[in-house]
Amino acid sequence: MSEERHGSGEELLALRDGEGSAWTREHVAACAACAAELERLEQVRARLRALPTFTPPRDVWPAVLQGARAERRRSRISAWSGVVAAAAVVVLAFTVLRHSSAVAPEDAALQQAMAESAAMEQMFQSLHPDRRALSGQAAGVVADLEDQLAQVDAALNDTTTWRSDPERVAGLWKQRAGLLSALVDVHQTRATVAGL
Amino acid sequence: MADTLPLAEAKSLVARARAGDFSALEQLYRAYERPVYTLARRLTRNAEDAEDVLQDTFLEVCRSLKQWRGEGNLWGWIRTIAASKALMRYRREKLRQWEPLEDNVPRQAEDVPLQMDLEAAMERLPERSRAVVWLHDVEGYTHEEIAELMGMTTSFSKSQLARAHDRLRRWLGAGAEA
Repeated sequence: MSEERHGSGEELLALRDGEGSAWTREHVAACAACAAELERLEQVRARLRALPTFTPPRDVWPAVLQGARAERRRSRISAWSGVVAAAAVVVLAFTVLRHSSAVAPEDAALQQAMAESAAMEQMFQSLHPDRRALSGQAAGVVADLEDQLAQVDAALNDTTTWRSDPERVAGLWKQRAGLLSALVDVHQTRATVAGL
Repeated sequence: MADTLPLAEAKSLVARARAGDFSALEQLYRAYERPVYTLARRLTRNAEDAEDVLQDTFLEVCRSLKQWRGEGNLWGWIRTIAASKALMRYRREKLRQWEPLEDNVPRQAEDVPLQMDLEAAMERLPERSRAVVWLHDVEGYTHEEIAELMGMTTSFSKSQLARAHDRLRRWLGAGAEA
């Protein structure tokens, strides 16, 4: 065993962390100064772990919630793009399969409901809902409407809905248009009150 | 820190938050706001930066909830997001305001024997060193993990830790042995 030098800081820290070399272990066993330094490093770590925690001076949750809602809106719009794409495929399939120039009444109802939903979506987006601050009560209403909208979108995104219950699909599109219309009302009212 | 939420409860809250339940998201926030803020305070310069990290962390948690598979503790996952946000901020600041890789505590100041308390001594460490000490000694990250988080080499993380402890030894003086 060499006594020519002491263990370096890195070597002693590695030993403290259970990764030290055989040389360091043997040296510390025989060197009082390095054993004391190792003990000191362990004490510092224990004291660091015992330092008190901090409490945020302000409640950041309202800002997090606002951001989370904006995020949900963005993902809903993204999901809606998927619904539109799926709907386009289904409408095309109906048209091709029927080989008919005349549009069946149920297809016409579906197309009308989809068109109404698209128009409402466009109007809603033109109000830039992400940039608009809402009162607590209005924010609650918006959150509730958006929850319902997310459920409708989820049903429309599910291709089994289109296959197993085509009549329900037009109803879902109508429901979607209605929810968007309500959202437009809430945001337009806010815009009027705020003079925006 | 041990996870504040039992795994089953964490899984249930995450599932509800993923489905858009904001009250579940708030419960997650309340469970972890203190540990996230504490970590952020240790890795950033001031309370304001730490608040920003707290907010950024939970927005990222909200965006990435689908990525948590329910394996391992939730705190470990959230903690890595928080550390990453804090260190990212630090790297951005470094890009704006260049500082040398070696920390810049004046040599003369280092040589003065001091009797500081541990909190003050940690505060006095350069940010990079303080982050390594905290992540390694308190949070239990390995040097490999720290190197990945901070975008540096494993040997650099090890040498930063040793240099920081050397400074703490001098600054804490006999107080460290008490």
